[in-house]
Amino acid sequence: MTEYKMFEGCTIGNRIPFIEAASRKVFDKIGITTSSAPFSCCPDPTGMKSFDNNAWLALGARNLVLAEAEGKDIISLCNGCANTLRGVQFQLKHDSLKKEKVNAELAKIGKNYKGSIDVKHFVDVLKDNIDKVKGAVTKPLSGLKVAVHPGCHYMRPAEWMESDDPMRPTTLKELVAAAGATVVDYEEEILCCGSAVTNAYEEAGMANLKVKMDSVKGAGADILVVNCPACFQQFDTRQRDLGKKYETEYDIPVLYITELLSLAMGVSADEIGLKFHRTRMKLEDFGL
Amino acid sequence: MTIDFEFRKSVMDYHVHDVLKYCFQCSRCTDNCPISAVTIDFYTTTGYNPRANILNALLGYKDAIFSADPLTIWGCTVCDTCDEVCPQHIELTEIFTFLKNESVKLGNAPEFIYGQAKAIYDSAKAIPSQPAIERRREQLGIPPVAAPDVNEVQTLLKNIGSDKKLK
Repeated sequence: MTEYKMFEGCTIGNRIPFIEAASRKVFDKIGITTSSAPFSCCPDPTGMKSFDNNAWLALGARNLVLAEAEGKDIISLCNGCANTLRGVQFQLKHDSLKKEKVNAELAKIGKNYKGSIDVKHFVDVLKDNIDKVKGAVTKPLSGLKVAVHPGCHYMRPAEWMESDDPMRPTTLKELVAAAGATVVDYEEEILCCGSAVTNAYEEAGMANLKVKMDSVKGAGADILVVNCPACFQQFDTRQRDLGKKYETEYDIPVLYITELLSLAMGVSADEIGLKFHRTRMKLEDFGL
Repeated sequence: MTIDFEFRKSVMDYHVHDVLKYCFQCSRCTDNCPISAVTIDFYTTTGYNPRANILNALLGYKDAIFSADPLTIWGCTVCDTCDEVCPQHIELTEIFTFLKNESVKLGNAPEFIYGQAKAIYDSAKAIPSQPAIERRREQLGIPPVAAPDVNEVQTLLKNIGSDKKLK
C-alpha cells in the first residue's frame, strides 16, 4: 500500500496526542503506512485564513510542497487541516493568478508549488479500505448506540472536500457500523460544533452547543463520535460547562472514530490514553 | 449611509466568479446559519446576519459592516453552510473572509485571532510544542512531531506583510 505523509496537525500533535495514538493503531491494523514531515500549521481555516487569506494560501502551499518533494499524498487526521490543504489546492488549481502570486512568494524561500499530490481526510482513506477495517474488528461493539458528528470542514465547501454528500455524508456512519455499533440518527447531525465562534462569543457558542447536545441526548445516543479535533474539544471540554450553564446532565462521552475502531479492534483503553478525555466512557457497560 | 465605491470594488474583485451581484436576498443563508439562529432577536436588528453582510458588502455600505458591533463580522463560525444552501452559488464564506481580513487590519478582530497568528509567526504552529505533551507522546508510544522550519515560515509571513498586522 502507498505510504502517506502524516499530517497530524497542531491540535492533535501538540495538545491531544492520544487521538494520534489511536489513529496510528488503526492504521497499523489495516496496513496504512505513514511517515512524518516538518509541516507547519496547516494553517487554520477558521483562524489564520480569517487573519490573512494570502498568508493562509502561502503557508498551505508550502506544506503541500513539502509532501510534493517526496511525491507522497498527505493523510490528514483533522477536518481543519484537510479543509485548508484541499482548499488551497483547489484555489490554486482554479485560479492561475493566485497560483502565480503564491509561487512568487515561495520562490523567495526556494520552493515551487506544482499541484502534483493529493490530500486525503483519514475517514475517506478508512472508507476506501472498509473491508480491511471490518476484517480487523475483533470485539464488535454491539449494543452501543452512537450519534455521529462528521463536522463542517469534512464536507464543506463541497467543491474542495468532495465527500459523498456535503449536507449528509455517510462515511462516518459506515465506519461506526463497521465497528459493530449502532448508528442513531438525530436531527442536528450536521449542525456545526461552534468551536470557531465560541472563542470570541461564548454566549452564542454555548447556545449553539446546547441545540446540538440536546438533539444528541434526545436521540438516546450512548456516545458521540467525531472525526475532527476542534469538534472533539468543543464537545469533550465544554460539555461540563454547558451542563452547569443550563442545569442539564449531558453525560455523553465523546470518542474519535479511530478510538472507537481501536476499541473494536481489541486495543486497550490504556494504550490509546482514553483516560485523558474529560467525559468518561463506562467501558464495562459495553463489555470492554 | 454612505456608499464607499472603493470598498464595493474590492468586494467584487475578491469574489472569484463574480456572481455576488446575483444575490436576490432570499435569506436562505441567514435561515440556515447556526449563529443567526441563536443570536438574532426577531424584534430588533441585532445578531449575526450573513444576508445583511452580503447586502452591505454588495452595496458598498462600509460603515454598516466595520463601524458596527464586531459580532457583525466575527459571529461567523465558518461552517460553510450558507455556501451550500445559496441558490445562486455565492461563496459567502469567501466574502466573509475578505471582511474579516479587513477587520484584522483595522485592529477590530477578536483577540484569539491575533493570538493564533502570533503563535504561528513565533513557532510555525498554532499550538506550539510543549514538554508535557512531548512526554505524553512518548508514553503513548508515538514518534515526536517533526519540528517545522520557523525561519522559513517567518520569512514567508514577513514578505507577505502579515507580521505588520500582529498585535
